[in-house]
Amino acid sequence: MPQPLNDSTSIYVPQPCTLLEVSDLTPQEKLFRLCLDSGGELGQQPGQFVQVSIPGLTEAPISVANSPTRRGYFELGVRKAGTLTGAMHQLQPGDTLGIRGPFGRPFQLAALVDKEVLLIAGGCGLAPLRSLIQYCQDRPGDFKSVHILYGARSPQDLLFKEDLENWQSSETFSCRYIVDKSPGSSCYDGETGLITRLIGALEIDSKNGCAVVVGPPPMYRPVIAELRRLGLTGKRQIMLSLERQMRCGIGKCGHCTIEHLYCCTDGPIFWLEEIEHLRGAL
Amino acid sequence: MLKRLVERDIYDLLGRIADSYRLRVPGLLDDGTRTLLPWDGQQISLFGEPPQRKPTAYFFPQTDPLLKIDPRGQATPAAVAEKPFALFGLDSIDLAALAFTDRFFSNPPPDDHYLRRRNGALLIGLTGYAGPSRGFLPLVKGNCDLELIACGEYWLARAGCKSADHWLAHYPPGDQEQLAVLQRESAQWNHRAAVDVQQAMELLRQDMVPDSFWEEIASRCILCSGCNLACPTCTCFCVQDRQTATGTVRSRVWDSCQLDAFMREASGHNPLGTEALRTRRRIYHKLVADPERWGEPGCVLCGRCDRACPTGIGMFAVAKEIASRFAISSPD
Amino acid sequence: MTATLTTCPYCGTGCNFYLLRDEDGRLTGVEPAGNHPTSRGQLCIKGWNAHAFVEHPDRLTIPQIRTKGNLQPVDWQTALDLIHEKLSGIAEKHGPDSLMFLSSAKVSNEENYLLMKLARAGYGTNNIDHCARLCHSSTVTGLVETLGSGAMTNSLSCFDETELIFVIGSNTTEQHPLIGSRILQAVWRGAKLIVADSRKIRLARHADLHLRHMNGTDVALLNGLMRQILLEGLENRSFIASRTENFAALEKSLAPFHPEYVAKVTGLLPEQIISAARMYAKAEKAMIVYAMGITQHSHGVDNVRAVSNLALLTGNLGRPGTGVNPLRGQNNVQGACDMGALPDVYSGYQRVSDPAARLKFSAAWQTRLPEKPGLLSTHAIEAAAAGKIRGMLILGENPMLSDANQNLVRQALEKLEFLAVIDIFPTETAQLADVVLPAACYAERDGTFTSTERRVQRGRKAVAPPGEAQADWQILCALLQRCGVKADYAEPGEIMAEISGLTPSYAGISYARLDGNGLQWPCPDAQHPGTPILHREQCARGKGRFSPVAYRPPKELPDASYPLLLNTGRTGIHWHTGSMTRRSHLLDREERSAFVEINPEDAEKLQVRTRQQVKISSRRGAIQAAAKVTERVPPGQIFIPFHFAEGAANALTNNALDPESGIPEFKVCAVRIDPC
Repeated sequence: MPQPLNDSTSIYVPQPCTLLEVSDLTPQEKLFRLCLDSGGELGQQPGQFVQVSIPGLTEAPISVANSPTRRGYFELGVRKAGTLTGAMHQLQPGDTLGIRGPFGRPFQLAALVDKEVLLIAGGCGLAPLRSLIQYCQDRPGDFKSVHILYGARSPQDLLFKEDLENWQSSETFSCRYIVDKSPGSSCYDGETGLITRLIGALEIDSKNGCAVVVGPPPMYRPVIAELRRLGLTGKRQIMLSLERQMRCGIGKCGHCTIEHLYCCTDGPIFWLEEIEHLRGAL
Repeated sequence: MLKRLVERDIYDLLGRIADSYRLRVPGLLDDGTRTLLPWDGQQISLFGEPPQRKPTAYFFPQTDPLLKIDPRGQATPAAVAEKPFALFGLDSIDLAALAFTDRFFSNPPPDDHYLRRRNGALLIGLTGYAGPSRGFLPLVKGNCDLELIACGEYWLARAGCKSADHWLAHYPPGDQEQLAVLQRESAQWNHRAAVDVQQAMELLRQDMVPDSFWEEIASRCILCSGCNLACPTCTCFCVQDRQTATGTVRSRVWDSCQLDAFMREASGHNPLGTEALRTRRRIYHKLVADPERWGEPGCVLCGRCDRACPTGIGMFAVAKEIASRFAISSPD
Repeated sequence: MTATLTTCPYCGTGCNFYLLRDEDGRLTGVEPAGNHPTSRGQLCIKGWNAHAFVEHPDRLTIPQIRTKGNLQPVDWQTALDLIHEKLSGIAEKHGPDSLMFLSSAKVSNEENYLLMKLARAGYGTNNIDHCARLCHSSTVTGLVETLGSGAMTNSLSCFDETELIFVIGSNTTEQHPLIGSRILQAVWRGAKLIVADSRKIRLARHADLHLRHMNGTDVALLNGLMRQILLEGLENRSFIASRTENFAALEKSLAPFHPEYVAKVTGLLPEQIISAARMYAKAEKAMIVYAMGITQHSHGVDNVRAVSNLALLTGNLGRPGTGVNPLRGQNNVQGACDMGALPDVYSGYQRVSDPAARLKFSAAWQTRLPEKPGLLSTHAIEAAAAGKIRGMLILGENPMLSDANQNLVRQALEKLEFLAVIDIFPTETAQLADVVLPAACYAERDGTFTSTERRVQRGRKAVAPPGEAQADWQILCALLQRCGVKADYAEPGEIMAEISGLTPSYAGISYARLDGNGLQWPCPDAQHPGTPILHREQCARGKGRFSPVAYRPPKELPDASYPLLLNTGRTGIHWHTGSMTRRSHLLDREERSAFVEINPEDAEKLQVRTRQQVKISSRRGAIQAAAKVTERVPPGQIFIPFHFAEGAANALTNNALDPESGIPEFKVCAVRIDPC
């Protein structure tokens, strides 16, 4: 049996970090920029997550929203959903938080090299995907092409609006976004409909394509079907990020199991073929 | 090294062990429940039903403080008692459960909190004619530091590892032939539920159990969570914070996959959102998912969930129903 | 590690478990008692988590008195002196009957006995009551009249040998899970099961017959069954002749209840009534099981009478596997009644109006005792609102959430000149108190508890109380002494010795005899083995009395402005006002907040989805809760559990009281749902 760590620390002990900046993304979502009090880098890879700890409210898993190529800080995009995320929304710059991680299997970057890369996000899924988008932006030569497709419920639910504009104008990417519904009153003049419409409109060399999909659970099946119609039918062509309740982040608490897999250590990023046949995965 | 002990020697041996360990021995609680208890030199219950409390609870208790966070946000891991545990009275099944749990918590990244209690602990098997009404308990294959084998009038003792040899050094040698007899008996020993569980495992792997079956079993469940809490290989936990003026104590607490909130996310999304899915998970995880991941089933056949279940849908009962209802009769 | 055997603090089933304590004195968990006749190595989810609230940081740890509007810590002496000064001052100025004492079904027999002694001998009033008023007061009134004893007639072991179980108004698998599981085990053994409940409760999935009669139509249903039984000659003639009286009056009263009429009133089909009647009457041994669905009505006593009539008519009494089996809700609600925490009786149901009983207790307590029966708790709240009750001592109850019509309760408690609360947590009621005393919880003191099957069992101290908290019996002794009443018990066992000396049904009970499986009362002498089955040779009152009842509809039914019927109750996860279970992590996580069950038909009409917040209003108040769209409730009915302060069902309920038992109509009132 392995020996435990020394008594002064534990894998369950969070490390302190300080909030540098908070910005509103939507009425429900905020972006938090943090740095470790130790002064070190978080050392995340795109797609990994951290356990955010607030004394009294336990912990919640949150994906890191920026690329490790942007150094000196890390960012978390957080929707107000439960008690802990609700409390996070009350925090001000200078406040401290606890962090454990980064945890989890990241996006398989090597598999994207020289590919026509499709980065597809729905709703809050843009936060974790943003880490990969930034990564691609910072290493433009690594990929044949990068297409960003993003769908949100309504214009006011669109995350990272400035980033979206920046990506749209960037030469590295093609970037389109769409909203399910736009109330007549809004000044939104972009596209409306489901994200599958954007996928259907793509023209890519499907043999050399690789898609990365991050979104809410109901989004996966229709998006996967559309990607298959596009010709992404082979192995290692579709990568997904699955979200589950996670209490520990290290494969112990059992809340994130998908049959024999642990979403927190075997995932959250999976190849479609690894999980497609598992009950309850999608 | 095989030794021969009489009952008085057991007390002597345990007395020496108790000097350096927190020794737990089988005893009877007020209502006759047999379980492992701290030893104060009193009579030990050397024969009987397996201890009711799962042995893994000593290293992974129901409520288990992980760390303390002071009001400034500084976190320190919870201290663990200096003296390690010595557990006496474990049969081969309970030792298998401990081995399963050890491997689970040791799997990288290792759970240091579990290992802090587990490392240095002494596991002492109790086998041979030490079962209920002096019935037979098969001998242990590894998994323990010491093994005491009840042979009727006397006891055989052996060490499971070199480092435990010294405990037995001064006892006279035991009869190897007697051991061989008991080993043969162990090889022939069959667990009453093994066939059903094996067959259920096969049928589940072949996807021969329809969803309607899980709905039916789930409708019999009164959601007590006892199956999970009694199971020695159930390791799922939730985390609770308790805040006082002096800081926050963060603990892990035994959880149950039979609860709706087990996988429910803040958004309301719930991958285990129905009773039928949760009931299926309870059985399927032990019999199919665990073998897939760890190479062996998560059910060690201890029967504790069957005993704890108020409506008779523990593992043995469900396996028996699966086996009797969905087994394809062999071709002519 | 130590393991302390004790009795579960939640429902009245009477399960036993061990509280496990580590070397640091911390509770680490619970282990079911493997050989206890009720637990048998099993527990429900609340039992498995019964250790969890004990060390919660919200526990009250120091006495507090209200100064300048806020509760401030004080020493015990000051707090106790103040309580005595205020209560005795009010009694002196306005008479002892301007005081009210609320006892608790959560505290021990000894503590209930001491509080009723405090009210009667200490302050000279019979104004003492407890939450049985809200749960089984209808049973106590009804069954005392018909059988002579207001308790469950049979034992839990009877489920193992009965042929048929008729469950009416009891969600047994959720409210008494280890009795519910015994019922299910009986069904799988071959016993028949009839469930009468408007909701599709878990038991209904396993029933031979599920009668979803409209809430509040129980009398019509039960009379209909009896009429049919007589019509087909399925009654037990010899039992009626030898063991009962007043049969002719019953027979006459049943005439109008033909199946078509009953069908119209209850919403059932005539055939369902006929087949239920046949099924029940043809069983050789049949048990009736009931709970709040029967008692919590403005005609709760009539419901109980009808249940009793049905059992007498078929001779299902006094034998194994039969009986009238009210399931008591709290772990010591039976004991609180037995101990005389009621306005009209001393311990053992000896009437305060009976001069002989009064003389006996006066002699023992060496004081004069009041003869006029006191106020029911529900009447006391009304009286407090009217300014007639001026001082109140509440021991371990939370009427702000548990009583009907929360606005009225708040008004009443706020109007009091003085309110003292003894509790373990800062409940909604404690927030209104002038003095709050911190009590030890079940895990921190010794005492006895009487389960639903009349089993008197030990509760044992496993850990020390937090801070300065004291056991209720110690607090009550301190108050008794201030009243000049002798109360120098060294331990609860000495209080039990006094109880058994004064209480015939407990006469043979002593702590020494309770180790093991406890004793079922009546236990009249020190050699008596206890009584698993009541009314064997004859009823406690002699003949079983048929008590004919007429059907009266509930006080407030849905109408155009309030078109839905509100049913209230509990879930399997939480306990009553949530002060314990909402502080138990696993239970709190399972059900975080208030919800309302709505049938899909109604949800569609109202355009409401699951998880959506809705506003529910009645003539008495309005609350918010999350919708849960489910077939469990029938169309036209909604169900709200009363556990949640932030969506308090009892802000809506109707305090229409049964004229005899004073129980409120928790199970029927009219409400409306609006989007938030």
